[in-house]
Amino acid sequence: MNRLHEINFFFKLAFAFSVMLVAWLVPGWRFGLPFAVLTVAFLWLAGVPGLRGYIKGALLLSGMVVVSWLVNLWLQGATTAEALPIAAGMAARLVTTTAAFFFVMETSTPGSILAASSAARLPPVVTLVLSLTFGIIPMLRDDFERIADAQRARGMEIDDVSLPTKLRFALARGIPLLVQAIRMAHAISFSLSIYGFDLKQKRTTWRIVGPMVEPRMNMKDKADDN
Amino acid sequence: MLKITSLRLGFGGPDPVIAETDCHLEESQRLLICGEAGSGKTTFLAAAAGLIPRLLPIPDHAGDVTLMGRPIATFDKTELFSTIAFVSQNIDDQLWDLCVEDVIAFPLENRGVEKQVIRERLRTLIAAFGIEALCGRRVLTLSGGERRMVAIAAALAASPLILVMDEPTTGLDPAARARLAALLQTVASSVSALLVAEQDPLALLSVIDRIALLSDRHLSQPVPPANIVPLDNPWRNAGLLPPLRQRSERPPAILGRPLLEVRGLTTRLARPDGQPVLKGVDVEIRASEVLALIGRNGAGKTTLFKAILGLEKIASGALVLDREAANSWTVAARARKIAYIPQNMRHILFNMTVTGEVIFAITAASATSTDPNILARAAAALDRYGLSGFAEANPFVLSARQQALLGLACADAAGALITIVDEPLLARDLKGRRMLDLFIATLQESGRSVMLISHDLELVDDVATRMMILDDGAIAFDGTLNEGWESATFRQLGWPPPYRQMAGEIG
Repeated sequence: MNRLHEINFFFKLAFAFSVMLVAWLVPGWRFGLPFAVLTVAFLWLAGVPGLRGYIKGALLLSGMVVVSWLVNLWLQGATTAEALPIAAGMAARLVTTTAAFFFVMETSTPGSILAASSAARLPPVVTLVLSLTFGIIPMLRDDFERIADAQRARGMEIDDVSLPTKLRFALARGIPLLVQAIRMAHAISFSLSIYGFDLKQKRTTWRIVGPMVEPRMNMKDKADDN
Repeated sequence: MLKITSLRLGFGGPDPVIAETDCHLEESQRLLICGEAGSGKTTFLAAAAGLIPRLLPIPDHAGDVTLMGRPIATFDKTELFSTIAFVSQNIDDQLWDLCVEDVIAFPLENRGVEKQVIRERLRTLIAAFGIEALCGRRVLTLSGGERRMVAIAAALAASPLILVMDEPTTGLDPAARARLAALLQTVASSVSALLVAEQDPLALLSVIDRIALLSDRHLSQPVPPANIVPLDNPWRNAGLLPPLRQRSERPPAILGRPLLEVRGLTTRLARPDGQPVLKGVDVEIRASEVLALIGRNGAGKTTLFKAILGLEKIASGALVLDREAANSWTVAARARKIAYIPQNMRHILFNMTVTGEVIFAITAASATSTDPNILARAAAALDRYGLSGFAEANPFVLSARQQALLGLACADAAGALITIVDEPLLARDLKGRRMLDLFIATLQESGRSVMLISHDLELVDDVATRMMILDDGAIAFDGTLNEGWESATFRQLGWPPPYRQMAGEIG
């Protein structure tokens, strides 16, 4: 965890929207591709966790986008030379957009989102939806890794196998992941109930919230409390 | 304060879990309910706390529950959970991915309490629970014992009138249990009544003033602890180990060849001060041995077995499994020699049937098989641990006890040389202990061994042949049990030796 995690969630969200806007407004692949590369390079420089996994996913997504646009444009009579720049531009926009929101997601904990939303006096339902929307994916990814570790720890060889087998085993994790997702939803719902979450009551927060959000309680210095 | 009359609770089976049970919790009363696993403690507490039927509707529910003279059904949700705080046995059921302070402050934030008040309360609770070092950490990255302390602190945050806790000492080391007991004594003035369920009454003896036993679907009349703790029969009749039972001497084990040798293991995982979680750890386990690993919460026990399994990266050290260098082995290759049974089996179940789980344990590749030998092994393992009737059930619908038994069946059927058993909660009552004894005896007879990680020192004393104490990332003691309990290392932990605490508290 670094200082990026402490930046107010809404500042990061505004930053991500701005990046996305630029990505979709710049014309063609000549600007789009370098901008996408720059955005990913920023993730690397910022030390955003899980970047390797993101890049794998982004490459897969880009490939699928390029192929689907090529097929689409070919069917409409475009040549490859005409279709390829358009497809590359669309893929670049998608990579830039996902990278910007990946940054927000990976550097914002549900607690810091709750704090920023509560400090902004947003309605409780908005607070909850925001923290779950951006918080649930890292939680499910952690569970996906935990299930993989459980499979390994029970003797399932999922590392030293071919890529198709690896993919098949990854798909097989879907069922326990679904069970885990239901369990997680139950835990969240249960904790909201017993800890008094009420849609009619605006929340407060223990954290000091400004452009930065306090990451942990200072046990000694009470000067900042007010 | 809380009056339960003719309570009947069932899940649609032929018999209810709780039948025609009464319980009156008076103001300032601290009632402990003891019962074996599966006796209905959790269900009873859930009804007493108003979770059933409000949050957890069940098909068979009858009787009256009144809170401060009003039917509990007339309380709205906010009012009810401001009055009663509940701490679940399976602590993961009420935690999600927040940091420690968020979890503790959550009940106050949700009720719109002022920031300064919340911060003051946070400071008080964090200091009282001695969890300053956990500040800022995500709660799901904490050990089980640490998570429990955080959840109990959260339950107390909003100053409820009644505190209901289901097996709160689960996963806590003896020092943390003592700290919890002392803390509950301290908060007694702010909580009007306490309702707790446990299998072993000793840990909270200083806190409670009445004990009732839950067995055969009924709750006994609450009595003062001194009237029941020294007795033997009431506990055995309720399926529990008598708290003041005598220590049994066991013959020394005849040990075989080394099965696991770990030399100079240092992990890459480091503590906040930069020190590796484990540094220069040596471990040896021989055939037919039951090695107990004990240590404070957060001492590195989980990291040690993860490093042995290959789930935690090591900076240096050598691992030899059955006389073969295993450093370069994948996790899966190691797992064929080392089975692992976690405290919460749900973390490692992923097949669709109970039989499928056992077949997977045998084949390490598939949950189905047409090989009659494998099918026979799977059926025999399920039969041995009393799970034949659940062969085609989904493992996730089993109770925690049945899942723990499934863990034993899988490890036994897999034929792994070593089984790591992490805090086996099923060993806290008579039926569970019989199953664990059966499992250990089966492994010892076939020249296999067990590594037991537990805070239950009586269990360690009963079943282990050797003990190791892990402290501050290093093995601080390795030797026999009698030497261990007398050692300076053990005394430094500040824990009461097994069985002696029992005699001291009541005698």
